[in-house]
Amino acid sequence: MSMFTSTQIILAIMVVVYIVAKALKLSTELSMLLAAVAGALAGGAGIPARHIAEGAFTYFDIILIFITATLFMNLLKESGGVAFVIRGILKKFHRRRSILFILITILLLIPGALTGAGSVTVLITGGMISVVLSYMGLSKPKIAAIIFLIAGLSAAAPPVSLWAMLTAAGVNMPYVGFFLPLLIPCVVLALLTIFILGWKGQSVDLEKALKELPEAPKGMNWTRVLLPFLFFLALVILGRVLPHSFPILGLPLIFVFSAFVTVLISPVELQILKISRDTVKQLLPLIGTLTCVGILVQIMTLTGVRGLIAISIVTLPIVAVFASLFFVLPVSEAVLMWGAAPVLGVPLVLLFNTIGLNPIIALAGMSIIWPLGDALPPTAIIGRLTKDTVGMEEPYTQMLKHCIVPALIIMAVGTLMVIFSKSLSFLTLL
Amino acid sequence: MSLIGLVFLVFAGISFYKIRHLKEPVVLGPGVTQVKKLSTYFPKIKGSINDANIYFLEGSEPGGTILILGGSHPEEPAGRLLGWIFAENAIVEKGTVIVILSANRSGTTVTRLGGAYPPDYSIPTEWGEQTFRMGDRWSNPLDQWPDPEVYIHYPSGQELAYVDIRNLNRTWPGRANGTLTEKTCFALTQLIKDEGVDIVFDLHEAELQYPVISTIVAHEKGQDLAAMASMMISGTEDFSMGVENSPEALRGLSHREIGDHTDAISLLLEAPEPFLDATRGRTNRALLLEGKDEFVVKAGKHGLLFERIDENGWHIDVRVGRHCSTILQILELWSEDQPERGIRMTHVPRYAEVIANGTGHYLRDPSTASPGKLTFE
Amino acid sequence: MIVTLLYYVLTAFIALLIIWNLVKSKKWQDEILYIIILIPFLLRLLRLK
Ligand SMILES: [Zn+2]
Repeated sequence: MSMFTSTQIILAIMVVVYIVAKALKLSTELSMLLAAVAGALAGGAGIPARHIAEGAFTYFDIILIFITATLFMNLLKESGGVAFVIRGILKKFHRRRSILFILITILLLIPGALTGAGSVTVLITGGMISVVLSYMGLSKPKIAAIIFLIAGLSAAAPPVSLWAMLTAAGVNMPYVGFFLPLLIPCVVLALLTIFILGWKGQSVDLEKALKELPEAPKGMNWTRVLLPFLFFLALVILGRVLPHSFPILGLPLIFVFSAFVTVLISPVELQILKISRDTVKQLLPLIGTLTCVGILVQIMTLTGVRGLIAISIVTLPIVAVFASLFFVLPVSEAVLMWGAAPVLGVPLVLLFNTIGLNPIIALAGMSIIWPLGDALPPTAIIGRLTKDTVGMEEPYTQMLKHCIVPALIIMAVGTLMVIFSKSLSFLTLL
Repeated sequence: MSLIGLVFLVFAGISFYKIRHLKEPVVLGPGVTQVKKLSTYFPKIKGSINDANIYFLEGSEPGGTILILGGSHPEEPAGRLLGWIFAENAIVEKGTVIVILSANRSGTTVTRLGGAYPPDYSIPTEWGEQTFRMGDRWSNPLDQWPDPEVYIHYPSGQELAYVDIRNLNRTWPGRANGTLTEKTCFALTQLIKDEGVDIVFDLHEAELQYPVISTIVAHEKGQDLAAMASMMISGTEDFSMGVENSPEALRGLSHREIGDHTDAISLLLEAPEPFLDATRGRTNRALLLEGKDEFVVKAGKHGLLFERIDENGWHIDVRVGRHCSTILQILELWSEDQPERGIRMTHVPRYAEVIANGTGHYLRDPSTASPGKLTFE
Repeated sequence: MIVTLLYYVLTAFIALLIIWNLVKSKKWQDEILYIIILIPFLLRLLRLK
């Protein structure tokens, strides 16, 4: 039997086990884990403890960033900082719809950009912003669509973009030069989304809105909100300006230090232990995904399945690849979540690199399409979370319907970035 | 449930621990005159995992000095195996040959996350098998943690990927107050200066999808030498080696920084290793050592590779043999050109001999080593 | 050196949070997931990987 046939059989077994596990109502994470174990058995590797543990370790650094960044954001929210900012901008700009939209977009982009997870955006600022938007005359499905789409873009936005980081790591490419190629499309597309979906509406009923929003605690002010961020920036900048005299802290510790600043200057006493524990609980599906994806990828590599997928993709006609990105990327995200990056992203970037495209721009373009899949079954993890956070009673498909127009624009922009990546190379140098 | 988790933890933990502490014997050959420690040149790394053994093979006739670096990237085994062949066999008549088998010893104690590498590999010999640690491209995080948000190379200030602060071939010329990997390069740079090394050979292997392959990457000081050697190899040997100039803009690499910061000529040799290709099929010891892979062959048929590959693959003997012949050829040309700094040695096999006899033929049995003639990597 | 030590402290802290949540967890699927995500934290703390 050729290696092609035998590996195809292993892949088929893994797919079947995944589907059966999902049909038995197992979570996506556990379904991936079972598929991995089945793959190892089918590949004749038994149940390889070493590979499973090593695979579980794959995204350890990223998980640390993820937990510490989310803890920082949660502490900020609990200290009343987020409520303070939202009330502040609402009071000041409630007559200026455009400015309000721009500020809301920024508030939605920051948590996901820093943590790399759209769900953090939904949880940290999504709920309160949905209150603001509902008093601007928008329906719940429309609000959910806005928050879901911008949350996805926030996850793709720099500095932490997990799809880009995971793929870059898989092709031994430095995660450097991605800042503008990710930032520009994410900001522009987020603004387009909120203006397209939110333009029709009414002016804000300030009093009612303020009543429904959580109170900011006494003593909260702009200094207390901004200081932790300034501290964060200062540590990052010091590390870059004085790299050889300033100690290497790493992102997780920088987030921990910033979280400490938040705690120290919070006007209310924060229950650090409880908030930390809730953070881990809240992140379980996401950390679980990263860990199980690591295991799955390790087993796919061990058994040759990853190579099979890679060789099948890189030998496709390039036009077919371009034309199917808009569809393949979200679907892979829906099935594998971040696992889509090492499994599909890596061979695609290798292919683009070989045919002379700019891998950084192409990967940035792919990174903005991927998060759209978070609204699709079988996982739909962030889509469902958004629906719950917004408190939408209408069927889920209502939200998806409103997503269509902005999603098509996002897909088009992402695909064009891939095709014309060479002409956009200058963005990586700035 | 927790119990099953614990069982996994124990089994995986034992495997990781065993490999980190696996001892690789080296039987000192007749040519080895002394074995020093890297910390001789930079005491700050004394006692650290990267305080490597430095094998000195000194000839009776005065001449030049060369340094051979194996294990800069331990997941590229040909370089380390060549180190064994030299340390256990070579006899130097003129000049000094310095050999390092584990330039980044920390990197030999860990395997690539998500890479599904085997923990070790064994080379068949006439007396049994000799087992080596598989290793990774980067230092073990157990020895260097955390990584920065972005790695800024010293002294150029160039921004590199954060993981590459653990990549020995991105941290040249090193930094005395830096991370373990940077300190290791600093110590190696001190060695090159203190011993007055004329030529440094840094031995690597690469995936076939990587454009720099089957080639000598040469610092400008060594370009003529490398070009001549490439021509001679194509004429006299059964394989060909290209030449590439070390790019000015790529910082931290041995072929750039050693040449810039010391008097030595720096040359980096690349051999093909299909095991590293992203399109590879089953990841196992056979692929590592035999280099046969149907998927990589298919990638080659689609013009996606920078080196040819067929069903014969790229056997480890072929890769080790290429490194052997390339070094010998360069030394012959060098010695003709610079007779007073020349090197002359015997008992190092050439390409055809390594293929005919196998790498294992040149590995010595540690159980028969006389006392004091055995070290461990 | 101090920074590395802080990372081990951070790892231990998160490991404890995971164990705490594991003990309090009522859903078996979550339990399995907590055990799996705990493995890398423990391997690092034991300095095995
Ligand atoms: Zn290398």
